[in-house]
Amino acid sequence: MKHPSEAMLALEAGGDLGMFARWRVGRHLARCERCRLEADAFRSLREIAPELREIPEISWNRLASEMKANIRLGLEAGRCVRPGDETDLDPAPRFFGARALIAVASVFALMVTGLMLEHPAPNLAAARQEGVVVQRLAGGIQVRGGGQALRLLHGNARDVYFSVGAQGSLRARYVDPDTGYVTINNVYAE
Amino acid sequence: MCIRFAAIIVLATAGLPAQDAPLDTHSSIKINLAPDSPVTLLTANVGESRATARGAALVLDLHMGLVLRNSSPNRVRGVTLRVVAQEVALGGKASVAVPSLNVGPGEAFPVRIDVQLMRPTQTASGPLVQVDLDGVLFQDLSFYGPNRLNSRRSLTAWELEAQRDRQHFKNVLASTGADGLRREMLESLARQAERPRLDVRVARGGRSVSAAAVAPLERTAEFAFLKFPDAPVEPVEGWAQLTGNEARAPRIEVKNTSGKPVRYVELGWIVRDQKGQQFLAASLPASDPDLYLPPGKTGRVLQDTSLRFSHDGEPVAVQGMAGFVSQVEFADGKVWVPNRQNLQNAMLLKVLAPSAEEQRLSDLYRKKGLNALVEELKKF
Repeated sequence: MKHPSEAMLALEAGGDLGMFARWRVGRHLARCERCRLEADAFRSLREIAPELREIPEISWNRLASEMKANIRLGLEAGRCVRPGDETDLDPAPRFFGARALIAVASVFALMVTGLMLEHPAPNLAAARQEGVVVQRLAGGIQVRGGGQALRLLHGNARDVYFSVGAQGSLRARYVDPDTGYVTINNVYAE
Repeated sequence: MCIRFAAIIVLATAGLPAQDAPLDTHSSIKINLAPDSPVTLLTANVGESRATARGAALVLDLHMGLVLRNSSPNRVRGVTLRVVAQEVALGGKASVAVPSLNVGPGEAFPVRIDVQLMRPTQTASGPLVQVDLDGVLFQDLSFYGPNRLNSRRSLTAWELEAQRDRQHFKNVLASTGADGLRREMLESLARQAERPRLDVRVARGGRSVSAAAVAPLERTAEFAFLKFPDAPVEPVEGWAQLTGNEARAPRIEVKNTSGKPVRYVELGWIVRDQKGQQFLAASLPASDPDLYLPPGKTGRVLQDTSLRFSHDGEPVAVQGMAGFVSQVEFADGKVWVPNRQNLQNAMLLKVLAPSAEEQRLSDLYRKKGLNALVEELKKF
């Protein structure tokens, strides 16, 4: 039996697989306990470390335009260093050369991929169901909702006490290492 | 030719640093203190604030080092600053409080605020963050401020706990000397290190997706109560809905056993897991801002929230729950907190965090030693 890769299982755990891949991995997980446990482990990791979901994302549009610019730059640079080019003022024949065609095709493929990957597909139903959430993160506490978040950070303070208010508030209490005063950060969902 | 080539490279790479840019802190942060405020802003260092693009979102790091001066004739015991971010988190707000202060007239004290905002990249006009004074508590327990976040009650409760714990340590010093105080501090630090900690995620006005999927498994569980003889309010009965590691919609009936009307009640909520380990899960405040509980009458403390528990990365399936009255505010503004004898209960000793003052004093002992602690206790 061929097992899905770790990356596929991690994507499956986060609900980030495409329709066909999800079906294929789901079918495998139904039969393979080892992979199911691994996917569960990824899922629980996401639960306990919500900040992992907020690792810096890549701006695909920006990346695409930067790569496009770099390819253009490469073509320009190629023209600059090619011997005897100084006198050649007509770029038209080279623009339709094989390399330029490949470059343009690459840019197009990159843009399409970027568009597919970046398309913002927030799980609106889930967000609505979850409402406004207050939670603890590494180095801080936050209130988030509707794709926005407000965080109060306690940096590298040690012995931080967290306390939850069932009305939707979260408190982090610590002795500020710089000021020596007890500082109490609060975030409120109400 | 080479110059042209270099110019193209410089222009092409110019866009990259735009991902991370310093913020104009003067237009990004606004600090509001009323003209009649008893604390005034001495200095505000708002450097190192940055905006970073992360995909379609913008992360704004705002760091503020404020120095405030007590311009009143009274000693300041605590301050709460309200932090409001424009257009962020469905009206979510935050505050930074500094209790256990001992700042005399004309003296200055620092407050550090580190805020991070995450929001869509669209820009908004006006300051990103506003910092207002929500309240100042003085030595005589008088209060100044708009009190939008009920800072009066919180600061008063923290100050009463501070007075209680300072008195306790002074009594230990008087009765058992420096060695006794040292033992007491070491016991406190050991309790703090051993205290089991629970990760709790709170969702208001909704419930977790996983719980929604298994709603048929939900059960109603009843609270057991720990009663303090001198508490002005007594818990009568209470329930919450449990599903796996999630509890929601807690509701507790309480009775005012004092001779004075009560306007706020808060209970501590302890949960027990399958292994019998107990954790302080949350505080459960009365939801009704207009609560008025005359002597002898009963009322309800309830919240429409769901709490999901985990410990060391593992979900904590709740097997049992207990509650105790942790704070009461009377209609005249006076506040009740449990005394040290109440807190000597074996279960509470294990699960409760130290008060802010005990945390400060034990931190002082750990960093500067017994003599510094004794000197600090003498200041009050």
